Amino acid sequence: MNRYLRPLAGPLGAILLIVVLMSLAMIVAGTSPVDGFTALFVGALGGRNQLGETLVATTALLFPALGICLAFRAGLFNIGAEGQLLIGALCAGALGAVLTVPGPLGILFMLVAGAIGGGAWGAIAGWMKARFGANEIIATLMLNFVASAFALELVSGPLKGPLAAGAETAWLDPKYWLPALLPGTRLSIALLFAVALALLLQWVFARTVFGYDLRASGEAPEAARRSGINLGRLTWLALTLSGAIAGVGGATIVSGELHRFNTQLSPGYGFTAIAVALVGDLQPLWICLAAFGFGILESGGLAMQASAQVPKDAIHVIEGLIIFVLAARRYVATRVEGTLP
Amino acid sequence: MDAVLTLRDIRKAFPGVVAVDGVDLDLYPGEIHALVGENGAGKSTLSAIAFGELKPDEGSVTAHGTVGLVHQHFELIGRLRVWQNVLLGREPHRGWRIDEASARARVVAIAERNGLEIDPNAFVETLPIGVQQRVELLRELDRDPAVLLLDEPTAALAPAEIESFFATVVQLAARGTAIMIVTHKLQEVIAYATRVTVMRHGKVVERTLTSATSIPAIARAMVGGEVPAVAAREHADLTPCLHVKDLCAGSGATQLNDFFLDVRGGEIVGIAGVEGNGQSTLADALAGLIDYTGIIERRGTMGVIPQDRQREALVMDWSLVENTLLGRQHRKAACRGFQLDRVRARAETESIRERFDVRAANLDVAVRTLSGGNQQKLVVGRALIDTPEFVLAYNPTRGVDVGAAALVQSRLMEARNRGAAVLLISFELDEILTLADHVIVMYRGAVLGSFGRDAFDRAEIGRLMAGSA
Repeated sequence: MNRYLRPLAGPLGAILLIVVLMSLAMIVAGTSPVDGFTALFVGALGGRNQLGETLVATTALLFPALGICLAFRAGLFNIGAEGQLLIGALCAGALGAVLTVPGPLGILFMLVAGAIGGGAWGAIAGWMKARFGANEIIATLMLNFVASAFALELVSGPLKGPLAAGAETAWLDPKYWLPALLPGTRLSIALLFAVALALLLQWVFARTVFGYDLRASGEAPEAARRSGINLGRLTWLALTLSGAIAGVGGATIVSGELHRFNTQLSPGYGFTAIAVALVGDLQPLWICLAAFGFGILESGGLAMQASAQVPKDAIHVIEGLIIFVLAARRYVATRVEGTLP
Repeated sequence: MDAVLTLRDIRKAFPGVVAVDGVDLDLYPGEIHALVGENGAGKSTLSAIAFGELKPDEGSVTAHGTVGLVHQHFELIGRLRVWQNVLLGREPHRGWRIDEASARARVVAIAERNGLEIDPNAFVETLPIGVQQRVELLRELDRDPAVLLLDEPTAALAPAEIESFFATVVQLAARGTAIMIVTHKLQEVIAYATRVTVMRHGKVVERTLTSATSIPAIARAMVGGEVPAVAAREHADLTPCLHVKDLCAGSGATQLNDFFLDVRGGEIVGIAGVEGNGQSTLADALAGLIDYTGIIERRGTMGVIPQDRQREALVMDWSLVENTLLGRQHRKAACRGFQLDRVRARAETESIRERFDVRAANLDVAVRTLSGGNQQKLVVGRALIDTPEFVLAYNPTRGVDVGAAALVQSRLMEARNRGAAVLLISFELDEILTLADHVIVMYRGAVLGSFGRDAFDRAEIGRLMAGSA
């Protein structure tokens, strides 16, 4: 059996399998795979606007994915990036609506507010785990619901913009908008921040003492504890930083894309980002590529729905399949190589 | 008489290494066959092939009857009863229900037939190690094996338990079971085995009756030359280093009760005791990992060789260089600014590799790819590299072959000779008697006896280890 499974252990095999499964999904949805893929790629990359939208999605996925990556590297499953992102965005939006400082400084304040909000949301889960041994998966997951209820409550009442129709804050003054990266599209320089952050994390993991401690705790907690690492403190710190990164991501959506906070600002970026982080093998630079790949699916999926009549939900099926294939790949790899005694 | 297990021209390769290379083996009913060799000589691979766990690349395995295997690390479920463990997966049943009465009777019957005393209703986790091993053995015996493979069966046993264990083994052999023992303990080979096979680099280098050989001869065959001697004990000035008094820590069977201990620079103090008498609690308290009451005073720096290298001392998927930094990453000298000083770490790793003869393809491979002995040498090298004033060595040569063990012991002796205080916690009494200037017997978390080097009495120490005052 290994003879047949072995090719799947390679990345090319995985990609091939994903393409086959995507084709099947399209056939089930009643479209020819050729039309489906054409619509997907034209919709995602076929012009300046399309590319802009793809990169907007890439950016929105990249921040929470990097945050999740940091927590995962420390052995912590942060399923709460969605909530952390939302709270970060809320803090940035609420602050941005009342700021009266010069533009660049205001933007900086908003990003810091996003980091503090998201970080605090992560810190709650970190504290629960470090102090009471609560399972961080449950804690971060549940805090997502608290976050969305909390945000809705605030923007329906005290933080609601004076002229807003729905649950939204007031519009930002244009001087607090992140500058556009690709003029004529919604893409802001937040993409550059995200890529810079990926480079920074890559360096932190590979070269710094903090990164070393973080990875040791994730890979071998008992050995890490005996090497003088305070695991409780590290748990708390890792979830806080993880949340802060997702929170900055939320702030860049507010400042760079929507120009105000609304409760619908994330179509589940924080959840898709889990897949992005895993597909990127928890390596920040690969995560950049993975985020771009998922960005193509996110924005191309809409186009596919419009021109090839493939429902957008098919994209979610495909995202699920990708995660499935990658998990299987890891399993196959251990089956094939794990024969050493 | 015909062999019950025949291995012919067995060859098995793993990526980069031929583990077993053209080995023949016949096991006859009634013999106790010892399989010895250094780490990485191919013993584990060969026994896995004999048991049917691994498929050889070439060669044939013929067994007449079932083959049983008792693992070095017990594979028992602590929260289940003895009979449940023994019959796991083979429980007698009536319809859907387990027939407990006949299950218990069956376990009692096997135990009696083999002269093993056991309470079938006891929970396994409450039993001492030696009795747990009986459970492990019973589980194999229930399948009435024609061949029984025992992997390092006495690694965790006290001297008295070892004797009673071998009494059972000899009795089994007398009734016609073929027994193969994989072991590092050459005294046991000479004392109990009938034949011995020595492996080196995947090949059989010697096979003889134990009556026709000796411990030094076997050791020479294993190493392929003379076994290096442990470094000589030299005069060293004694300076106060570690003072422990009224130490209480831990809970349950491994609780420390008013433990006391002094280790001076220039001496090795050995803690003799059977596993599970509070040694781990003591080590953890000394390393500052658990809360305690009482006095622990220590001067100077500390180097630690933890008990379980794979879990406590190494990150298995990291390189040798990264592992060399573990536990030392917070020192000023390890960093340049925010960054870890990788150049320095690499140089340190290289010096450990030379001084401790760590065999690895290069310094960047994962330590997982190293044999257990080489992993251990890396751990010991790391503990000693900063010339600590106090060394806490917990089973420093566990699962390490003769040559590597002599090297590790020599380095500990050298640390002592240069004036370091060494606390040696070991389950190998021989190791303690070889190295220690002073022996303390530990039993149920307390000091039961204390011997200076000129007053070592092996029998008396063995008796105290078993708890008889």
